[in-house]
Amino acid sequence: MTSNDADDKVAIVVSEGSYDKAMASVFLGSTAAGLGMEVHLFFTFFGLELLKKNKRPRLKGMYRPFTGMFEKKMKGIGVESFQDMMDTCSEMGVRLYACSTSMEAMGLKKEQLRDGVDVLGASKFLDIAAGSKVQLFIG
Amino acid sequence: MVDESLDCKGMMCPMPIVHITKKIKTMNPGQVLEVVADDVGSLEDVPAWADRTGNELMEKREDGGEFHFIIRKS
Repeated sequence: MTSNDADDKVAIVVSEGSYDKAMASVFLGSTAAGLGMEVHLFFTFFGLELLKKNKRPRLKGMYRPFTGMFEKKMKGIGVESFQDMMDTCSEMGVRLYACSTSMEAMGLKKEQLRDGVDVLGASKFLDIAAGSKVQLFIG
Repeated sequence: MVDESLDCKGMMCPMPIVHITKKIKTMNPGQVLEVVADDVGSLEDVPAWADRTGNELMEKREDGGEFHFIIRKS
């Protein structure tokens, strides 16, 4: 958007909302921002849940009850909670987008989402992705 | 000769890079940051970070399971 240098841009789609995908998203997002890259995170389908205010993602399926244990372990190795990592991403300039169609399908309003999220359609995101050297899909 | 220090011991990827990025932002060009970490990943991560961001990695040294990095802000 602001930069024309595709080398320094990374576009990431997040289509799942489980704890592991959530953390992978904020890890890659914050790291890329730390490397000086312009980062665009597009949340769609179940990934959209992650943009909800105070969302605490859980592990999937039979691992769900172990989420708390996992969070504790992460804290023990210096990793912030998902919400704190999202704040860190925003602080580092990572752009967060909500898929407009998913919002409609899931009945989510923009007021329910964390601050600083832009609502986009697939075309605009693909426009950003086409201008990015790195495109990742987390789902 | 070191202006600032950062202790990243006990932190796993990507936290050292997140903290280094935040720290270096508060420093002036030419200033030197010393980082200590114990995540094995940092041995390759910190040089890659320095390379991408254009900051100078002046020293990388292993010392009893700890990794010391000296970085000069560009």
